[in-house]
Amino acid sequence: MSLSHPRVSVPTQRPAATLLQLREVGRRFMLGETPIDALHAIRFDIHAGEFLAVWGPSGSGKSTLMNLIGLIDAPTTGEIYFDGHCTGDLSDDELTAFRGKNIGFIFQGFNLMPVLSALENVMLPLHIRGVGGSEARTRAAAALQDVGLAKFVHSRPDKLSGGQRQRVAIARALVVEPRLVIADEPTANLDSHNSLMIIDMMREMNRARGVTFVFTTHDPRLLAHVDRKVLLQDGCIERDESTS
Amino acid sequence: MNTLTLALRGLTRNHRRSIVTLLAIAFGFAAISLFAGYTHNIYSGLARQSIHGELLGHLTLSKRGMSTAGKLDPQRYLLTLDEVARIEAALQHESQITLIAPRLAFSGLVTNGRASTIFIAEGISPQAMDRLQENMLTEQEARSGMYDRLAKKLDPARESGVALSAGLVELLHLHVGGEAILLVNTLSGQANAMDVTVDGSFNTGNAGTNDKFAFVPLALAQSLLDAEGRADRLTLLLEDVTQTEAIRDRLLAKLSAAGFDLEIATWQELSSFYRQVHGMFNMIFGFIFSIVLAVVLMSVANSVGMTVIERTREIGTLRAIGLKRSGVIRLFATETLLLTLLGCGVGFLLTVGVRYGINGSHIAYTPPNGANAVPLLVDMDYPRILLTMVLMLAVGMLAAFLPSFRSARQQIIDALGHV
Repeated sequence: MSLSHPRVSVPTQRPAATLLQLREVGRRFMLGETPIDALHAIRFDIHAGEFLAVWGPSGSGKSTLMNLIGLIDAPTTGEIYFDGHCTGDLSDDELTAFRGKNIGFIFQGFNLMPVLSALENVMLPLHIRGVGGSEARTRAAAALQDVGLAKFVHSRPDKLSGGQRQRVAIARALVVEPRLVIADEPTANLDSHNSLMIIDMMREMNRARGVTFVFTTHDPRLLAHVDRKVLLQDGCIERDESTS
Repeated sequence: MNTLTLALRGLTRNHRRSIVTLLAIAFGFAAISLFAGYTHNIYSGLARQSIHGELLGHLTLSKRGMSTAGKLDPQRYLLTLDEVARIEAALQHESQITLIAPRLAFSGLVTNGRASTIFIAEGISPQAMDRLQENMLTEQEARSGMYDRLAKKLDPARESGVALSAGLVELLHLHVGGEAILLVNTLSGQANAMDVTVDGSFNTGNAGTNDKFAFVPLALAQSLLDAEGRADRLTLLLEDVTQTEAIRDRLLAKLSAAGFDLEIATWQELSSFYRQVHGMFNMIFGFIFSIVLAVVLMSVANSVGMTVIERTREIGTLRAIGLKRSGVIRLFATETLLLTLLGCGVGFLLTVGVRYGINGSHIAYTPPNGANAVPLLVDMDYPRILLTMVLMLAVGMLAAFLPSFRSARQQIIDALGHV
């Protein structure tokens, strides 16, 4: 199914400012024979250009929610709309192509390819999208420059510090100019100095480029930097506060 | 950066495992290529031995039934002087035919005056004998000196000069230049004896015939059998051995149309030894090939399986950032393709090196039923080397498909959560 043909059983076109809508989204996992409900009928919207933090204790369902928002997992119940289009009926290939074009990912463990240089890691999403070698190289170099790693383009991940690796990951997420960046605990493996630097960098990208950022965190100090914070508790939204 | 680069980098991730797999492929490839080269050398050697050494030529023409009923009633099945002349005339414009040699086979007793033994002889003109033996040895074989005694020679100037097999000479305590007496039955059944001179001795290369065989000039054979101008068959040499079957069919049709009731046998049909050895080596080759392919299959499957497990998170990441399932399969397929190609490349170099070593070390062995030692030589059998590479690539891809397919089907969140 193409994204230009949204499902007809639900409202198809949402206001332009709303990037993502979750409607009664639930996610159940099976632990052997035992069902575990990680999320219960979540309903909330993410607006274009927001800098949003999802926070809460361990096991509250933050990562599950991020996976659903990032379209790398499918809800057991409910629907997710991206830019007004229902994502539920997309085939795996369509969803993958959609992610590649619209969503960037920053992982807690950086998830960089150890055999590739920083530049090549950043070129990877462009290569997957079929961008030619020289253009990909130019864009990746520019993305690395934006995160302050111009001098490290040829360094492999094992030669970089944790903060530098996460900056490479940010460059990789942003190089395809996505509309949404998902960051699941992007600072969990970093010290406080690097954590703040990464959050500041993400914030700067959000302001400068209008890219929507959604990230999870345990660190309450980082919440001071966000527009909006959503508290998740036992798979439900406990509180949804705008701070700006 | 493209898939090829990515795949190449992937191979360096666990270089020790990649090298072990590559070496398994390389050694397997080299083993198959060397054995293929050895059998190729055996086949071509046997072919040359049959065509030129045993003087079978490429095609043998005889009257229909000569090879069966003709053994008991040769008078009826021998070609006459007129028939030989007419056949030669019919074939004289065939540009592919380089030699037509009338032959007359017979048997009898040979004696030194004190002891006698049986012999099997071929009557053939000395000139035809020389022509048939051209190209019997390769340069390398000629250089080895091991085949020197295989050459048979009749002196065209000596009507009663014969060549006897080395075993026959030894058995009767004869010597080159000495005298012997041949005793045979003529076509009409009368006993006929003739003094001959031993002009030379030769090794048949076969223990079963080395104490029985003799070559005599055709005229002498005809005289002994009282079969003036007659021949039991015509041996043809062709320009191109690969055309043997096609030319046989064409000649058969042409001679049938000219009113001859002939049968034409190819050298392969006449040389049962060649067919048996060919069949046996093909069987052994297939067996070795299957074992090596199975080893390669398991080695590549194990390597890709381990790689896929190790790189589960990486695959999850690639899938998250937009790589389709087919892309994951393509990535691992490319890695396997590269690994197999590199393995075959290293295997080819190993083949060249080991072949050089074997051929240069002058190893000799006596084959089963052989009368003399032969050098162990390995050829480069390029068609089978190419076939081996293609099959190894196919087997490698097959081995890689299942683990990479399973990996591509994995849920992204499971892959990302893999520890």
